[in-house]
Amino acid sequence: MNAPIRLYMSMSLDGFVTGPDDRAGQELGRDGFRLFNWLDDRFDDGPNGQVYGEATATGAVIAGRRTFELANRWQGDHHDGVPIFVLTHHVDDGDVPPGTARFVTDVEDCAAQARAASGDRAVLVHGAGAAQALLRAGLLDEMEIHLVPVLLGAGRRLFDTLGPDRVELELVRRLEGRGVTHLRYRVGTLGR
Amino acid sequence: MSKLILFMSMSLDGFIAGPGDEQDNPFGTGGQRLHDWLRVGEGTEGVHDFRPADEAGRTLFDEMITTGAVVTGRRTGDFVDYWGGDHHDGVPIFVPTHRAPDGTHAGDVRFVTDGIESCVAQAKAAAGDRDVLLHGAYTARECLLARVLDVLEIQLVPVLFGQGRRLYDSLPPDHIELDPVRTLESPGALLLRYEVKY
Repeated sequence: MNAPIRLYMSMSLDGFVTGPDDRAGQELGRDGFRLFNWLDDRFDDGPNGQVYGEATATGAVIAGRRTFELANRWQGDHHDGVPIFVLTHHVDDGDVPPGTARFVTDVEDCAAQARAASGDRAVLVHGAGAAQALLRAGLLDEMEIHLVPVLLGAGRRLFDTLGPDRVELELVRRLEGRGVTHLRYRVGTLGR
Repeated sequence: MSKLILFMSMSLDGFIAGPGDEQDNPFGTGGQRLHDWLRVGEGTEGVHDFRPADEAGRTLFDEMITTGAVVTGRRTGDFVDYWGGDHHDGVPIFVPTHRAPDGTHAGDVRFVTDGIESCVAQAKAAAGDRDVLLHGAYTARECLLARVLDVLEIQLVPVLFGQGRRLYDSLPPDHIELDPVRTLESPGALLLRYEVKY
């Protein structure tokens, strides 16, 4: 394997990735902005800036459809004009996404295209839906979890429908940023 | 000053037991995985059978078993028959409950029916200058809502469960800030200590 397909996700200690009631106009859910305070330091030296820099040095993006739409399709450019592969079940006739984004309906095809486009750079995964689909297909290589010291108590979970098999992980890096711990895990085997 | 500390092993995705946790399956299906950071000994040393081999794991374990009292939920306590009345060193075990059960338990098990605050106050008084160990997700939630939970000591296990019992399933809408005060890396888990900021 060359460059990894890596999920980037901010998460509360109790496992929420948005506040409750996430929808258009309130994309991160009620109070969900709390999970992204660490991005205030994204251009600073130090771990928060380092991790943000790594995320935006990726060579392609895989996003779920829901995330893509909630983000207003990133106006066709997530970062540096790298290709964006949007996993979706259905594409309306004549719906051509903007910029470097394209729709893909098959998860293996999506991963293969993203890897090819990304070359020797990592692929950034956005959104719990896409991550779940990749994970189930055995195509997610790493997870960079930005663990935020807060209990949200409600909201959208990191993984809601993983299936009966548990997934073993290996912690490969831990960076202590201001107000957040960045945990990088390598995705291992499925087991029961 | 004695602190009430929740000790809880949790998967990265927030589960503290596998699905179907019941009396005869207290960890839920596959839930034993969350406790692999502990050692399983010969069964001859009581609680010390579980003392991990690594330094970080030992540090945490030794803190657990030098607490001066235990508070446990009724559900958790019933599952394990209140550890035969002796969780460690014979310290008293306090159980907040609506109604005390008939009969008696072996050891020093005290059922407290006049509220969670009272239960925790009694446990702290019994513990003296030592901390109090808290067991059980439901009771941990009650303690959090009553603002008597001082510390969360989470053993974050590198595994995704996808299903099972969550640490917290429903909290009030206002989020609760935590102050990370210590992180230890054990081979089997990240040992995360947070003080609760009310």
